[in-house]
Amino acid sequence: MKELTISSGSPGQRLFVLGNEAIARGAIEAGVQVAAAYPGTPSSEITETLAGVAKELDMYVEWSTNEKVAFEVALAASICGVRALASMKHVGVNVAHDPLMTAGYIGAKGGLVLLSADDPSAWSSQNEQDNRYIAEQGYIPVLEPSSVQEAKDMMADAFKLSEQFGQLFMLRSVTRIGHARGDITLGEISRERRKGQFIKDRTRLVYTPREARINKPLMLERFEGIKKAVNTLPYNQLKLADGAKLGIIACGLSYSYTLEAIKWLEIEDKVSILKIGTPHPLPEELVLKLLKSVKEVLVAEELDPFVELHVKAIAGEHNIPVKIHGKDLLPRIGELSTRKVTEAIAHLTRAKTPVDFASIDKLEQETAPLLPWRPPALCPGCPHRASHYAIRVASRRVARDLGKDIEPIYPGDIGCYALGYNPPQEASDTIICMGGSFGIASGLAHVVEAPIVAHLGDSTFFHAGIPPLVNAVYNKANITMVILDNSATAMTGFQPHPGTGYTAMGDETVLLKPEDIARACGVKFVEVVDPFNLKEATEAIEKAIRFPGPAVVVSRRLCAIIEQREKKKRREKVIPYRVDQDKCNGKCNACIELLGCPALIKEGTKTVIDGSLCTGCGLCAQVCPYKAIVPE
Amino acid sequence: MVKEFNILITGVGGQGVILISELLGRAAVTDKLRVRGSEILGMAVRGGSVTSAIRIGEEVYGPLIPTGKCNVLVGMEPSEALRNIACLSKSSLVIINTAVTVPFTVSIGESKYPSQEEILRQLGKASSKIVQMDAAKIAQEAGSRLATNIVMLGALFGTEQLPIKIDTIKETIRERFPAKLAPVNIRAFDLGYEACRQAVK
Repeated sequence: MKELTISSGSPGQRLFVLGNEAIARGAIEAGVQVAAAYPGTPSSEITETLAGVAKELDMYVEWSTNEKVAFEVALAASICGVRALASMKHVGVNVAHDPLMTAGYIGAKGGLVLLSADDPSAWSSQNEQDNRYIAEQGYIPVLEPSSVQEAKDMMADAFKLSEQFGQLFMLRSVTRIGHARGDITLGEISRERRKGQFIKDRTRLVYTPREARINKPLMLERFEGIKKAVNTLPYNQLKLADGAKLGIIACGLSYSYTLEAIKWLEIEDKVSILKIGTPHPLPEELVLKLLKSVKEVLVAEELDPFVELHVKAIAGEHNIPVKIHGKDLLPRIGELSTRKVTEAIAHLTRAKTPVDFASIDKLEQETAPLLPWRPPALCPGCPHRASHYAIRVASRRVARDLGKDIEPIYPGDIGCYALGYNPPQEASDTIICMGGSFGIASGLAHVVEAPIVAHLGDSTFFHAGIPPLVNAVYNKANITMVILDNSATAMTGFQPHPGTGYTAMGDETVLLKPEDIARACGVKFVEVVDPFNLKEATEAIEKAIRFPGPAVVVSRRLCAIIEQREKKKRREKVIPYRVDQDKCNGKCNACIELLGCPALIKEGTKTVIDGSLCTGCGLCAQVCPYKAIVPE
Repeated sequence: MVKEFNILITGVGGQGVILISELLGRAAVTDKLRVRGSEILGMAVRGGSVTSAIRIGEEVYGPLIPTGKCNVLVGMEPSEALRNIACLSKSSLVIINTAVTVPFTVSIGESKYPSQEEILRQLGKASSKIVQMDAAKIAQEAGSRLATNIVMLGALFGTEQLPIKIDTIKETIRERFPAKLAPVNIRAFDLGYEACRQAVK
């Protein structure tokens, strides 16, 4: 039997998949022809999955330099009548915000879908923004799935709906959808392949003030049509229970938690439920029916009270005397759970909770102090550890010369190297957004007197690091910008980018070098170093900091994970290091305290190297004052 | 048909937690069971804590195991089992690999690793059924230390509570690994199965 894969299978067959694979499958079933994205947790696997089958299915898939470009690539395809998808994490949508706010005016010719992967609880993000507000601002209808199966179905339908109403649609996923797993029932794969056709249409495509004024009413008209239609979409479902006093409006994934909660509380027949699959626009007729049939309503949704506020507005407009609860009983912070929804419902129905949550909480609190802190850490052999160390040593040398009260400042950025903010590196003083390190450094330069050394990775540099670099040159910001070039978008799963020499679909392409870009942008001090040569790297960074004006150091060394994989392929042996116990006094701990490498451990008073973790980078041997660390 | 069976697998990035949940999910689908689950990827994989939930049954909707509703907790690392104590109830079963992975924060003096006794005493307050095994050692006996996670998967089936057929999971293991590695993993599974079955008897 041929193995069932994401790009095969006939309708009705079942497959166990990751939520993001299900979303990719939905796009495949819809016959998506163009998919563009910038990697970001929890969205990356969608585009990875599509890239893996692109040639086989005659699709075009790309990793774009950033989310704005990704959205523009998809928008262009849609303008030409081709079905297109742009995928990004929630904060990536901020980067795409500019074209997004006009895309609603343009409308969609080929089905156009924006996948926003929100991250309640901020598992891998700098904030937990709720992107339904962005959709509302741009008149973009939102589909929000309650399960992995529905995520696939909605993605497939989103393209049809987009074409039916001539409007861009958003699919709002969350971490517990994209990184959930489940069995899905497959649908038919569309083999339709359209040829893109660009038809010149200034009124629809050229946005001067005139076109904005012409197209806004048309957009509003399209949106009114969608508002009516959502009442009959299968993703919105009203189930009224006879004589129910309580109604629950459950949006997206909260619907799954609600189903479990009412079963747990054994009140399935006693509450009315409105399942919401389109939080924007809400199915107003269904909402009204529910509001009129009950005394109290609980709105269950993750993050902000988006549905809640709209439901309250509907109740107010129609003078319905119903008490509406939501964020008074459920948190705005963090993802929801069956427990949280159960407790909120139990509070309203005065039902007894099925489990004594208080005693479990007590046990958990009592356990917390026993647990060791296990944050994610830079891998053994990670070149970022070396770069962080070199930056620290070099900047302190310069600071010392400037005066005893002066401390260097390290604006940091988004990527694996952010993990170095933990001790012992403490390598980042700010981490805010993609490319933010260079921008923040530029600003700092005009208000504080200290060595300012910003760092970001190669993929982040191409994404959002070039404009602030140009800014630093133009506005004469005296800063040092270190580009940690490990030839990978490592944090999100090693996706290729403009500095790797190949594309998402595996084709060879030009390889752009950050140092060439920096020189072309007018940076007068540009050096390239190998961070594993600590002395050379430290000296170059020190020279860069002392250089009057903006300076760039490219710290280049392949990501340790990729390097290990390649060595394995080449059947090259890894030679780990070991501690010569005759030379190590066991008390100085410099290697551990300076580097925090997971391969360096204490066994009683002895310092040892875990040979199964050590990659043989030799960094610890370079910092050991007793020369006690040697290759095996 | 089973209504709800919840398995939580916990460990440290790199221990193969996700692989076991993938195998469980695929096998469940083969046995025509409904499966839900979720895990945390991204930040967590760089040596951080990893948890993966697999939920099987007709009445399972959400991707997370509700507080106190875990049937079996598989701890690939003792302190990581303890970290998830809130999922347990008196009827839960806990299987722990006794091999410890000390986080780097202990080496740099930022935190302390609890003693084995402390871990067991605390877990004992939540659940009365705890099975311990040196899964790494068992994997070594089977032929490869890398099969530690499969030993734990075998132990999970050794509870004889799972709604998935043993033949199905073994077939899934054979499909997942290259022909050369399959026998070692099947041996690891069998040894883990037997170790747990003897212990829960």
